[in-house]
Amino acid sequence: MSQEEVAREAIKHALKALKKRHLVEEGAHAPAYIALSRPIISQGSEWKEKAENLELELQQCYKAQSRLSEQLVVEVAESRALKASLQEKETTIADLENEFTQTRDECSQLKTDLEENIRALELVMSERQELKAQLEQLTIKAKNAEAENKMLVDRWMLQKMQDAERLNEANALYEDMIERLKASGLEKLAREQVDGIVRRSEEGAEFFAESTIASVCKHRINAHEGGCASIMFEYNSGKLISGGQDRSIKMWDTSTGSLSHSLFGCLGSVLDLAITHDNRFIIAASSSNNLFVWDVNSGRVRHTLTGHTDKVCAVDVSKVSSRHVVSAAYDRTIKVWDLQKGYCTTTIIFHSNCNALCFSTDGQTICSGHVDGNLRLWDIQTGKLLSEVAAHSLAITSISLSRNGNVILTSGRDNLHNLFDIRSLEVCGTFRANGNRVASNWSRSCMSPDDNHIAAGSADGSIYIWSISKADIVSTLKEHTAPVLCCTWSGLGKPLASADKNGIVCTWT
Amino acid sequence: MRKAIQKRMEAKKYVWEGAIPLQIHLHESQVTTLPPPPPSLILAPRIGYLPLLVPLIKPHFSSTLPPGVDTIWFEYRGLPLKCQNQPPNGGFFCCRYIPTGVLFDLLCAEPERPWNITVHFRGYPGNVLIPCDGEDSVKWSFINSLKEAAYIINGNCKNVMNMSQSDQLELWHSVMNGNLEAYLRVSSKLKLATIEDEYTSLCSSKSQQGSGETDFTGQVKTGRVPVRLYVWSISEDFDDLEDLSQVDSWEKISYINRPIEIHKEGKCFTLHDAMKSLLPEFFSDESLSDSKLARVDFEDAQKIPSEDVSSNKVVEDQGQNAYEHREACCISSSAEIKLIRIQGIEPKLEIPFSWLVNNLLNPDHFLHICVCVKVPQ
Repeated sequence: MSQEEVAREAIKHALKALKKRHLVEEGAHAPAYIALSRPIISQGSEWKEKAENLELELQQCYKAQSRLSEQLVVEVAESRALKASLQEKETTIADLENEFTQTRDECSQLKTDLEENIRALELVMSERQELKAQLEQLTIKAKNAEAENKMLVDRWMLQKMQDAERLNEANALYEDMIERLKASGLEKLAREQVDGIVRRSEEGAEFFAESTIASVCKHRINAHEGGCASIMFEYNSGKLISGGQDRSIKMWDTSTGSLSHSLFGCLGSVLDLAITHDNRFIIAASSSNNLFVWDVNSGRVRHTLTGHTDKVCAVDVSKVSSRHVVSAAYDRTIKVWDLQKGYCTTTIIFHSNCNALCFSTDGQTICSGHVDGNLRLWDIQTGKLLSEVAAHSLAITSISLSRNGNVILTSGRDNLHNLFDIRSLEVCGTFRANGNRVASNWSRSCMSPDDNHIAAGSADGSIYIWSISKADIVSTLKEHTAPVLCCTWSGLGKPLASADKNGIVCTWT
Repeated sequence: MRKAIQKRMEAKKYVWEGAIPLQIHLHESQVTTLPPPPPSLILAPRIGYLPLLVPLIKPHFSSTLPPGVDTIWFEYRGLPLKCQNQPPNGGFFCCRYIPTGVLFDLLCAEPERPWNITVHFRGYPGNVLIPCDGEDSVKWSFINSLKEAAYIINGNCKNVMNMSQSDQLELWHSVMNGNLEAYLRVSSKLKLATIEDEYTSLCSSKSQQGSGETDFTGQVKTGRVPVRLYVWSISEDFDDLEDLSQVDSWEKISYINRPIEIHKEGKCFTLHDAMKSLLPEFFSDESLSDSKLARVDFEDAQKIPSEDVSSNKVVEDQGQNAYEHREACCISSSAEIKLIRIQGIEPKLEIPFSWLVNNLLNPDHFLHICVCVKVPQ
């Protein structure tokens, strides 16, 4: 065998050996090793645990994720809502801005308007001031004109009243003349023909006494110190009762002119007197705001009537019951007292003070004369004003009733004396005299019992007497030296008594 | 033509793809878990090195290790595995790593597949072993081996030293990954002359008769081949490889690092010739002229015709290779080479050495030869 062949054989052999080795070594084992080299799950349980743990974690993560996604949804919704609201707010802001600019313009506009208005207002104000001044002037002018007017009207009224009075007078004269004519005619007729019933006597005719016209001063009595403001006669008697400044009441016998009684107890000067119909009680109105009631027989004060808060200037007692006393004081009241009960039953308040009082014959009505010149009638039960009439232009100073109770005589500071019909309150007559000046606010005048004469005192100390029928002065009595404060006619017809400021009482027959 | 190239590359491919199935057991002293960890099964490339396998082995066992510092070492049937050979007087060429395939061929007379070795992480036998450091030291060893080879072949190692860093790395990586193409690409730049070998082409194609191969006295360069020889000495005869007793000590293994010089005058330089030049004491009455060798069938583990080793031939040392050399004197006539293994195969002695050189070289350009010799007491 050649060397070459040997060599070739050896090489072949070597190659075969390599192949065999390959097959046996890596050829056989490589697949298994590669397969085994893959990650072996040797630690199965550990991995399982790990896997489970991871699963749990994953679940938790999922949960957390879901929660987060929920939250996210909520947040997104919120944010959307916020965006929407933000948008709204922005639009509102834009609107508000617009509004604002508008209002600003308006405002500036208004400012200019306001300034204009203010200027106009100022102008108007100045005008107004001027007008106000003018108005004031005109008002003053008007007032003056009014006052003038009023005054003129008053004067005119006065004139009218005077005219009326004159007319009344004329009428009265005329009527009087007619009456006289009638009377004379009737006399004639009566003389010619007396037929039928001739009335012999009037009721109360026994008491009738023709009153003489007093002319002579019978007595001159120094009755009171300081002045005598009130005198009166007892009913149908000649006893004169006087009350004066010296707080005493004296009873005089006018036939003799001597003092028969004295009543004391009054605490102030006596301003007015009244006597009951049965001549048992004398009531005095005192300046000490009281009224005192004396029992004449015993001479003791029976009652003291308190209640007035100012001086009592007038008093009268009912002619019917002698139980009711009416008093007027300068506290603008008129009080009605019940002597049996002992207290004031009615109080009438009137703005004008009453100077004089008088009961009507039936004792139901009071006549009062007031400072304002009005005559008023009051109902005693209710205290209500029944009627009033302007009697005088100045204050009334005296009221007295005629014997028949139909006519009221009033005297006033206007120096007039009027007669009023009690029912109609019409003036029946007016009397005056030239020298006759009413002395004081409470100068009392009186009527004769035959209702035909009027006597009134004067400030010059004389007493004037008028005849109603003649409507003229009948006589003038001069005796007093001081102003005559009051006069009174006896129920018997004579005498006539008068008292003056010095306290002197004169009786006249 | 392609097929011819394939055929030519066939043997090289086998060499590069060769891998030993390893079954690595953790030593029981270091098992801390129950059940004990299964052995790590790894295919170790023949041309690779055991320390490079550590990154694969360690994770497999790391969970069961006792606490402490690890130093890895391997052991086969009690014998700690030397990863490196250690020339006794140090010198320029220090420790060189032994390829895995060589270890296997050397230590397993009867190849054990898979190869059951034991890994230790503790208890390093510092008196026996040098520590296997890691990939870097292996790489440097490889490069230095290349330099050595270049020196032997060319007389200088300039070509290796002038290799760029990237080329070095690429070369090393091609070795680590078993990438033959990359290796050939880079190493061709090195111009490490290969021995012209007409036989490879001869075997591959019979049709190429006319390429003048009949002329054996062709222009074969006279060159030197780097060789590392591992000699396992045994004392007794054996019939079967399995009967061989275990290598129980490194004393029994000697390492010879000596190049073979090929000088031909006409005839083919065979393996036999190479071995004679390396271990002349085992080839006593052989003349250097060519002689016909009886075909020996190594597969049947026949006895190698005993050589007379009476004549001492001093084998020339090329270079400063220090090797352990058994004294040729006083060797009885019964000393004989029992076994020659290269790359896991036992080639016939007649095989042209040039073929071996061209096909069975390790990447470090060395031919690693394992020899089992019987040395009489």
